[in-house]
Amino acid sequence: MKRQNYLLFFYIPLLGFMIIFFAFSSLNRSYIKGKVEKLVDEQLQATAGILKVNFSHLLKENYTPEHIFAQFSAEEDIYYMALLDENKQILGWRSQFEGYLPLSEESLKTERTWIIDSPAGKIFNSFSSFSLANSRVYYLYLGYSLAELEEMMLRSRKNFHLIFGIIVAVGIFFSVGLYRLQVHYLNKKREWEEEKREKQRYRDMSALTSGVAHEIKNPLNSLALLFELLSKKAPSGTEEDIASGKEQIRRISRIIDQFSSSLRPVELRKEKFLLEDIVSDVHASLAREATKKGVQIQCASYPDIVLLADKGLLRQVLHNLVKNALEASDGGTVFIRTGREKKRVSISVQDTGKGMTKGEKKRAFEPFFSGKKSGMGIGLYLVQKIVQAHEGQIHCVSEEGKGTTFIIEIPGG
Amino acid sequence: MKRRLFLLAYLLGCLIISVSFGQKSRHFYNVDSEKKIEGRIQDIKMEPRYKSTAPFLVIKLAENGTQTVYNVEISPIWFFDQDFHKGEDLTVIGSYYLTDGKTPSIIAREIRYRGRTLALRDKHGFPNWRGGQMKGKARKRGKGKMGL
Repeated sequence: MKRQNYLLFFYIPLLGFMIIFFAFSSLNRSYIKGKVEKLVDEQLQATAGILKVNFSHLLKENYTPEHIFAQFSAEEDIYYMALLDENKQILGWRSQFEGYLPLSEESLKTERTWIIDSPAGKIFNSFSSFSLANSRVYYLYLGYSLAELEEMMLRSRKNFHLIFGIIVAVGIFFSVGLYRLQVHYLNKKREWEEEKREKQRYRDMSALTSGVAHEIKNPLNSLALLFELLSKKAPSGTEEDIASGKEQIRRISRIIDQFSSSLRPVELRKEKFLLEDIVSDVHASLAREATKKGVQIQCASYPDIVLLADKGLLRQVLHNLVKNALEASDGGTVFIRTGREKKRVSISVQDTGKGMTKGEKKRAFEPFFSGKKSGMGIGLYLVQKIVQAHEGQIHCVSEEGKGTTFIIEIPGG
Repeated sequence: MKRRLFLLAYLLGCLIISVSFGQKSRHFYNVDSEKKIEGRIQDIKMEPRYKSTAPFLVIKLAENGTQTVYNVEISPIWFFDQDFHKGEDLTVIGSYYLTDGKTPSIIAREIRYRGRTLALRDKHGFPNWRGGQMKGKARKRGKGKMGL
């Protein structure tokens, strides 16, 4: 699925929902508006009816139109009104707005109700007749304010826009969230599949190399025995060559052993021990080599850190790192530091050697990669495997010409 | 200070006039009788026109050619902040009627003078000082009182 398709997948339903909501709300509002206008129409016609009855009584009692209008001057919702005779001639009128009486010949043609727009808002107009007992006909023209209705509709519109805005905002927020979640999930899935493929490839390779190592080891043992026998029967002067051959066989054997151990899965035999013990062990085992190279080893151990881990494997990790540091150093000092922060223990090995290039640093933990001429590239790979088996992390900081620091962090302590 | 006192006395006078005289105009803005008059200002007056409102600016306008003199009802004086002078040319569009059956009169909707156009009412006669096209110009007022 393409990125664009994800967007469509999330936004089209949201858009659809918004369109449906908009259409439904608009129809609903239109329906309510129609109903309310009808009700208002009926109500105002009833009001006009009451006014006409009152007008009839007052006219019968010979009140002038001015006096009649004065009776209704407190009616704020009646914007204007006019009384007309049977010939539709204006007998009198009143308006809340100076001179404003939107009465034209056109509007006097038939009795009817209609709504006009004005700067004061919508005005409901009614033009209708009524007659007195003496059969005399009059017409009443009324302009009734629809301000309250308009206010109600305006509030309804505002509420609709507010709710619509909230739905859009929340919808977009959730869609973006879902979209991101989906992208994250797919990326993780891709990574997991890649890892799975890599593991499978590694298993295949392990099986193959283990087989090859086993096949080499048997003839190599026979060869070692032969050299042993040969050394006993060898003519004088050839001892040195035979010893060199034996050394080469031992070297091949050692390489195959390392190879095999690097391919085996790490099995932890956990026990409680003091971290400073393995630091002292490693220091002691490599002290002679360090002196030979003119390198000083300095230890700064955080006291009394008790770890529940595989002591032998962690010793091997520290041994490999310190040995690498010694090999990279030409004089100078190698620092071994241990520390503890919250529930994590850190071990760092720092040298002041030649450091690593960016490319070397990037590939430092890859199997069969080595920056040294004689290295096999298994040491750091094994170190990482052991640290990861302890659910820890290892990373290195290196600068060319200034040295390298390997930092291990493992839970516990 | 003197100027302020004068202004206060003037406004008080206007109020007294408007309340005591009440509504004088019997005519509304009839859209059917709208006409355009071009003429020259002969006189400028203030008259109470509608009940409980400020006096209106009313000008006497002599129509060019016929020399018929019209009473032109402009607007409440507080709304009209322009300057008129006798003898100035003026064009008025408004609703025509006869006062007392003989004096030609106009309720102005639009006036044009000195190259400017001033809208006083909308096309149906709704006064702009009640909040219309000249909302920015007119001061907003509340609902008016019924006036004949």
